[in-house]
Amino acid sequence: MQAFLESIENSGFATYIRETPSVLGYSTVLALHTFGMAFLVGLSGVIALRVLGVVPELPLKPLKSLMPIVIIGFWVNAITGVILTSLAIVSLSRNWDFYVKLASIVVAIVALTKMRRYAFDDPNARDDAPASPEAKRWAKTMLFFWGLAVLGGRLTAYATYIRIQSAEAVVVAIVLLLILARYLVRRSHRRPAVVHRTSPVEARG
Amino acid sequence: MEHFLRTWLEWPSVAAFIARYTWAWPLGETFHFFGIILLIGGVGMFDLRLLGVAKQLPVSAVRRLLPWGVTGFLICVVTGLMFVTAVRANVPSSPYDVIKSNPWLQMKFVFIGLAGVNLLAFYVTGMNRKVDELGPGASAPALAKVIAVASLFFWLGVIYFGRLIPEGL
Repeated sequence: MQAFLESIENSGFATYIRETPSVLGYSTVLALHTFGMAFLVGLSGVIALRVLGVVPELPLKPLKSLMPIVIIGFWVNAITGVILTSLAIVSLSRNWDFYVKLASIVVAIVALTKMRRYAFDDPNARDDAPASPEAKRWAKTMLFFWGLAVLGGRLTAYATYIRIQSAEAVVVAIVLLLILARYLVRRSHRRPAVVHRTSPVEARG
Repeated sequence: MEHFLRTWLEWPSVAAFIARYTWAWPLGETFHFFGIILLIGGVGMFDLRLLGVAKQLPVSAVRRLLPWGVTGFLICVVTGLMFVTAVRANVPSSPYDVIKSNPWLQMKFVFIGLAGVNLLAFYVTGMNRKVDELGPGASAPALAKVIAVASLFFWLGVIYFGRLIPEGL
């Protein structure tokens, strides 16, 4: 197995992408991987926000038209991801963080497919109606695992103890930001209390 | 001017913090990526609608996503400033020298500026008011489409040149 992985890592293609001084090698593949991530996660995230009722003004059904771009984003990510993996496959195969990333992507894709089915497949649903509880559950699952996949992707380059510390720091930062966001949303929704004074005569009708 | 920039860009306390706490740099990187996702989800989605993607969405509703894009941009600015001002934690150069010598970082700044000018054009030409009236199925004016293409091009350029920065270090 080890010899097979080494043969991939030392192949002419992997060596060229890794070692070429041209910016069209490693860095461009990495940039394409980021483009794919931005469209895949960004646009599926827009659908999830609508499903969760965060942006209720958006009609639900037309968002289905975003799916082809989401799918293109996925394939750009998949192809560039395979190329990037081949460049350092020996060390990545021993990196537990890499497996967390892959597992998170699989769960996020399953959640995206389920969310899409529950959100769009009812032809009688009104555009301004809230999404079903199943669609909301899968939207939350998808967002969580996209976040985990992005985190996993960022941390593969670091030593294990830095990965653990960084993951803890990200979790703490996200929890603090969510608490702050919840406070701000509640504060913006709070209306000034209106006191209606009625005389005893008015109150009796 | 050079002395001013050299002094102003150097933040030893931030560099020391990042050198001391090894989780700080990956934390910044992770949030930089979350910011990119929000930016494309908000601003990119708006541009795509102007170009005719998901045409059944009224533009005024898609506009509600723009604050998410702006939030993403601000997250990228804060984390990006952290990377630049604390660059000494990773390479033995001052931020001023890195900015002066790294063409990819310079290109990134140029493209951020061009994206800003493009946004200004969107408002100065009155396109912001015109597209707000676009209901389901309506096409955006040609000028709004040109601005949307330019916006996508500049933001993707910002991401691309950002990825090339390590090549110039």
